Amino acid sequence: MTDFLQVLFVGIGDGAIYAMLGLGLVVIYRSTGLLNFAQGEMAMFSTFVVWTVWDLGVPLPLAVLAGMAGGFAIGALVHQVAVAPVGDPHERPLAVVMVTIGLFVGLNGLAQLIWGTLDRELPPLFGTGQVTIAGVAIGWQKIGAVIVLAVLALGFWLLFQRTGLGLAMRAVASNSESASLVGVPVPRLLMLGWGLAAAVGTVAGVFTAPGRGLGSNLMQLTLIFGFAAITLGGFDSLLGAVIGGFVVGIASSVVPQYVPGFEKIPLAPAFILILAVLLFRPQGLFGRQQVRRV
Amino acid sequence: MSELTAATSEPHPDPRPRSRRLPIGRIVAASIVGVVLVGLPLESPPFRNEQFVGWMAIAIAASGLNLLTGYNGQISVGHGALYGIGAYSVALLITDVGVPVWIAVALAGVICFVVGVAIGLPALRIKGLYLALVTLAVATLFPLLVEQFSSVTGGGSGLSITSPQETARGVVDRPIQLTSPFGALAPDQWKYYVFLALTVVVFVVTRNIVRSRTGRSLVAVRDNETAAEVSGIHVARVKILTFGVSAAMAGVGGAVFALNNVRVNPSSFTIAVSIYFLIAVVVGGAASVIGPAIGAVAYGVFVDVVSPELPERLQPATPVILGGLLIVLMLVAPGGIVGWWRMLVAKRAARRGAGAAADGAGPASVTRKPSSRSTDARSPEA
Amino acid sequence: MSLLEVRGLRAGYGIVEVLFGIDLDVDAGELVVVLGANGSGKTTTLRAISGMIAGRGEVTFDGSALIGRRPDQIVGAGIAHVPQGRGTINDLTVLENLRIGAWTRRDGDVDTDIEQWCTTFPRLGERRDQAAGSMSGGEQQMLAIARAFMSRPRLLLLDEPSLGLAPLVTAEVFARLREITTSTGTAVLLVEQNANLALDFAGRAYVLEAGEIVAAGPASQLRHDETVRKAYLGI
Repeated sequence: MTDFLQVLFVGIGDGAIYAMLGLGLVVIYRSTGLLNFAQGEMAMFSTFVVWTVWDLGVPLPLAVLAGMAGGFAIGALVHQVAVAPVGDPHERPLAVVMVTIGLFVGLNGLAQLIWGTLDRELPPLFGTGQVTIAGVAIGWQKIGAVIVLAVLALGFWLLFQRTGLGLAMRAVASNSESASLVGVPVPRLLMLGWGLAAAVGTVAGVFTAPGRGLGSNLMQLTLIFGFAAITLGGFDSLLGAVIGGFVVGIASSVVPQYVPGFEKIPLAPAFILILAVLLFRPQGLFGRQQVRRV
Repeated sequence: MSELTAATSEPHPDPRPRSRRLPIGRIVAASIVGVVLVGLPLESPPFRNEQFVGWMAIAIAASGLNLLTGYNGQISVGHGALYGIGAYSVALLITDVGVPVWIAVALAGVICFVVGVAIGLPALRIKGLYLALVTLAVATLFPLLVEQFSSVTGGGSGLSITSPQETARGVVDRPIQLTSPFGALAPDQWKYYVFLALTVVVFVVTRNIVRSRTGRSLVAVRDNETAAEVSGIHVARVKILTFGVSAAMAGVGGAVFALNNVRVNPSSFTIAVSIYFLIAVVVGGAASVIGPAIGAVAYGVFVDVVSPELPERLQPATPVILGGLLIVLMLVAPGGIVGWWRMLVAKRAARRGAGAAADGAGPASVTRKPSSRSTDARSPEA
Repeated sequence: MSLLEVRGLRAGYGIVEVLFGIDLDVDAGELVVVLGANGSGKTTTLRAISGMIAGRGEVTFDGSALIGRRPDQIVGAGIAHVPQGRGTINDLTVLENLRIGAWTRRDGDVDTDIEQWCTTFPRLGERRDQAAGSMSGGEQQMLAIARAFMSRPRLLLLDEPSLGLAPLVTAEVFARLREITTSTGTAVLLVEQNANLALDFAGRAYVLEAGEIVAAGPASQLRHDETVRKAYLGI
């Protein structure tokens, strides 16, 4: 039982990270209808920014904020330079996929060019301390991840449901032409959405790095887990990203532990989820609209 | 070789009347390409020839991906996994089963065909960006699967492709060698010619598929599934078969890769490989037969020839340049090199034809004002 | 000088030209209709004025040039556009649709205006928290018009409001529109295929054919024009 709880808590901690990356993916999908294959690399890159600022002697929490600002700038820039000019993702899926793949390859290389190929060490944001619950020791870092996720999710909910800016962003997501006709500056809001998505991605990176070392491949597995989370939750649902993140986190922690043949492939349950949901319930658990057919 | 060059014509029938003169430019170009391809290995060092074979492996796999993604519109970011399955199939068939090399290559194609059909079935319900997502996950999963089943695959350290060979100490398992039966050619040159022949065969077969009724139905399904269905095309069968053939080609490409390196390793089949194939397809030009070959050569030249010449400090810049170029290409010339070339040709033809067709294009209408429309319509900068 | 002056407007999609030099005027508070068959360029005209597609030529609104300005700037200048197919934002509620209509306004009367529109169109008031996409076509058209008026425009561009609506509903939409424009003094540039209705509504009309204005004049006069009668009134 204790073993199981241990595995469960690991899954919840990981799930919070997948949900963070998922929140960013949902924000981008809602506004631009695009699955951003470069989301993980954008997060990796801005996590390196966090490391650089921290390495200069700035306290880690401040460095994270600086990295989020850097991430925001990267996301906004990427949208303006590469994503906006290429056109509607559902009209030209190949071109859009190739642009995000170009970003993937380019950002990965750029990180290696700037920070080298050796892994960097980023300390855990919430320290290495532990607390014992029901006889199981849980790291503060895991609890911190869940709390930060809750803050981010609440922040997004307030933004979208309680502010005029969020209303405009939802209008753009639902019908960008009509939003434009009531005077909403659509391109600028899309840029804002990309910036926000990249900023939360930074946080996902900051929580991923301490366990595995900060290298240019930091987020490649996490990205697939994040996609599994939003596929399950529904591509356009923030709540879905959070719940999907926890389900995926727990499944990929529990299954390799208890199912023989899955020891080295925690990714397999996530893959099976993606496939099954897209086949049988493409709108996911909480998605409001059907996945648009191409 | 002229077969290959001729294959650059478009999937849609060309509306312009074909010139009755001999296509001299085309014949000259084909001859030059032919001479270069044949002469190249005689003048190149062995490591270079092995790199060339590597490009051929990419060209074959990318051509398979092009059939699926370019012609049929199903985006796969997971062909690296099929490439890997082809490579491991060849390695295991030769090493563990003792199958002769060429039969192993054919069997790798068959195995990947079956896998491709199996992936094609769910892909009927998953389209566009979502198919890209699923195949991306497949590509990420593949190296992990290889490690999971290490008792068969050799895990992270990989497998050497061996066969029992006679040595001074009796018969022992040693890495296989592809040597020329004629003696005159070095092993790397022999490998080059053999795989070049295979590559040409694959491209000729692809061209014949694309130009056939089946090929036209691929494009019809891509452009409008409903319309294709209504005009009597069995959409599901076309899509599944395309996935199968495409996967088989990726598998043969993987087989070439494995035989070239004489060993397989999970790190050779990461997501990066799937990305290379996509790059080869879109750089050369999606939905053109020769495009993936051009793309594979362009990629190979960039990574194997240009990049090593860069100063040491700038070596890691290779992917940055590659990614940047890819984005610029998608924004500026989404049809790739071949698409860009076709556009130039079409523009030239349009300029030549513009003088002949002066008027009558505008919609007929009853107007009470004198109209200057038909001339204005042709000069958007007015 | 007219409120809206269009001179030599050309526009199209990609390399396909649709408008070949349009001239038209709308005075302050005036109701003007553009008649024309499918594909004659009516919608393109409105889209070029509101900046949704690039146009060439001169478009002057209240003395300032509009060509080259972004749609959001043009809305800010005082032009609202109800597109063909109504363009309600389906995932937002009725109230949210009205609120987003006031995006360009910075005054504090937005809530008062919303209440007023809910009174003018009681159906909207009843369904204020319902998603716009779940309403009937007529209700969506009313919502689209109310949303456009939320920006307090001086000129409303209205694209085929009768499309897909039952005749009775269409009649109601036009009746309401007349009341609103009378009380607010908003000018309307209407595009319609239903010429009978449109000529009743508008004071002046233009006839568009294949991207060119082929006739213009007071609505009462065009109603008796032989060509217009044959082509658009089916008489």
